[in-house]
Amino acid sequence: MMHAEPRIRVLIAKPGLDGHERGAQVVSYGLRDQGFEVIYTGIRQRPEQIVDAAIQEDVDVVGLSILSGAHVALTAKVLEGLRSRGAGDILVLVGGVIPDDDRQKLLDMGVAAVYTSGAKIEDIAGFIRSSVRALEGGKGSR
Amino acid sequence: MKEDDALRGCGMDRDLVAETRRQWEEEVLEPRVRRFNLPESPTRFYTPLDTDHGDFLEKVGFPGWFPFTAGNSPFDYWRAHARTAALFGYRPDWGGGGKVGKYGGFGTPADYRDYLLRMQAMGRKGGPNMAFDLATQCGYDSDSPHAEGEVGRVGVAVDSFRDFAVIYEAFTGELDIDKVPSNFTINAPACVIIAMYTALAARRGIDPAKLTGTPQNDILKEFISRGTYIFPPRPSMRLFRDTLTFMRKHMPLMNVNSIGGYHIREAGATREQDLAFSMANGIAYIQAGIDGGLMVDDFAPMFTFNAFGGSMEIYHEIAFQRAARRMWAHIVRDRFGARDKRSMMIRQPITAHIGCSSTTLKRPLNNLTRSVIGGIAAGMSGGLPGAYPPFDEPLGLGHSQEAVQLQIDATRILIYEAKVADVCDPWAGSYFMESLTDKIEEEALAELEKVEKMGGAIAAIENGYMQRAVAKSAYERQKRIEGLEEFVVGVNCFTGENEIEIMVNRVVEATYDPELMETAEERQKASLAALRRERDGRAVLSSLKALEAKAKDEKENLMPVICECVENDCTLGEICDVLRNVFGEAQPVKL
Repeated sequence: MMHAEPRIRVLIAKPGLDGHERGAQVVSYGLRDQGFEVIYTGIRQRPEQIVDAAIQEDVDVVGLSILSGAHVALTAKVLEGLRSRGAGDILVLVGGVIPDDDRQKLLDMGVAAVYTSGAKIEDIAGFIRSSVRALEGGKGSR
Repeated sequence: MKEDDALRGCGMDRDLVAETRRQWEEEVLEPRVRRFNLPESPTRFYTPLDTDHGDFLEKVGFPGWFPFTAGNSPFDYWRAHARTAALFGYRPDWGGGGKVGKYGGFGTPADYRDYLLRMQAMGRKGGPNMAFDLATQCGYDSDSPHAEGEVGRVGVAVDSFRDFAVIYEAFTGELDIDKVPSNFTINAPACVIIAMYTALAARRGIDPAKLTGTPQNDILKEFISRGTYIFPPRPSMRLFRDTLTFMRKHMPLMNVNSIGGYHIREAGATREQDLAFSMANGIAYIQAGIDGGLMVDDFAPMFTFNAFGGSMEIYHEIAFQRAARRMWAHIVRDRFGARDKRSMMIRQPITAHIGCSSTTLKRPLNNLTRSVIGGIAAGMSGGLPGAYPPFDEPLGLGHSQEAVQLQIDATRILIYEAKVADVCDPWAGSYFMESLTDKIEEEALAELEKVEKMGGAIAAIENGYMQRAVAKSAYERQKRIEGLEEFVVGVNCFTGENEIEIMVNRVVEATYDPELMETAEERQKASLAALRRERDGRAVLSSLKALEAKAKDEKENLMPVICECVENDCTLGEICDVLRNVFGEAQPVKL
């Protein structure tokens, strides 16, 4: 039986000027194959642009890919932007080269999960599904 | 017939070998495959039947001679000095008189200058080998909203000639710019940095003809992989042409570019795509020089390549080096009519290696083992057996002293103890290696032909073909790993509880003062504001206007007017803005 359940919408975004997009592209393709609706911004997006895109596209999840070392500042900007525009319930994930010390910092800031080299798309997909379901269970669909 | 005779001359009879092979498969191989209940044999044995190597001289040849399959030379400078280096304890990461220094850069120009001076006081006296921050690489000034959070992060911020000159305060006397080479990892705004280098020579009264060094100046691979492009491909190539003809005329000792295959592979390209796209890019660069009115031998000898390769498959990486050298040599000689053998060589400081994307975050010390494999591949294919990268590459930005020590020692062990560099092209004549070399070359040629049918590298970037092909290959590999068709130790296999985590003491040298890093953006913005106040505003406007006018005429070489802009304290961002207005901006490719 097919479910008419709406597909989970994910925005994969590359904030900042870092052009290494292999991870972002691979995760975009992978989540698409896992049945998600994926929008990939391409490189060099400013945090404001990402927030705009997330709201316009009405996504459930934003995945930020950052390999330049600017992850804390850039993620903070996106989280702040989403909250200030009433979209603080959007799940934010971060992927890239993230040192262990910063992983906790990002989680404390409100990031739902951090993925680094070696992460499996299947796991990311599983995490998104269960988190979005939990959110919807709690607050009703956005 | 002739081939069979040749083989018979070597004591081989093709029919007899074929017949014997059939017998062997029947009596030895197939029973073994059945015994283990396998669908097919997991190994392969190669015989003379697998190569059609009639002509050793044509396909392999001698090291230093066309087609350079066996290497660019019988031995390189590091091999010549190997004994001396051991006797005197030379450290390659320290640089030495007249050598390229360690790649680096951070913070403001003053931060980086002070760092360089400290390193020099410790004996590390290489020429500048500059990493620029992303704002600089993408043509934005430090006070641009695009630069927010990026200033001084992955390299030094350079907004103006004043900044550039501050860095070079660390290079005077025995380290003056007519004595040490300068390397610039800069692509889209390479024209501006080259203009600054020229202006610095003028200020110091040094003839630019004495300047040496290498700007990366490889914009095409930025579109395919690294992402620091500014303008669309065609005007970008016009800027490349302008830098090429300008440097050949005024700075004849400077290398023109450093063509990167490695970045394309790291972005996910297969070996054959990497080779085909790099060759296509190389062809476009040669064409740019010819369009600029030069003969191929006037400039191709000053092309360099940046570390072709990048996988763990040791046999394939060795074959890849051999195939790449042969392919480039044929392209440059046969298509462009080069006669200077230096034009035909792939000149690269690092050859085979595993690529940073082969390193794993899980049980990271295993990356040392991995990098040694890359070092062996390099040593067996005509390069320095460099074990690269340091094992802690994936742990975060910054290598520890321990990891760098182990990396350098691994390379030394390969040279001095394993003696891998005592033979040139040790695989020459191997039925397997020759057939693999042919196969990689054939597949890359087929892919190159596809690109050429689209109109060459520039067209295949404009239509997004190369970018999408690389992204798809990256995803295919990820699927193979997740689907357990390919194994990565400690990542998708051997991860059970019986395996133990190896902890290593890591002291990351406080190379870059974190406090300086934190405040770099504010300080750099303040010094840029001061520049904007102090400079001659009229000279700035008039030189930017002249730049705009000349940019509109495709035939004009923009280098002289960019030099004028730089000398009048126009910023890198202002120069790029003028060019953005005339040329437009490149757009990222959607999937």
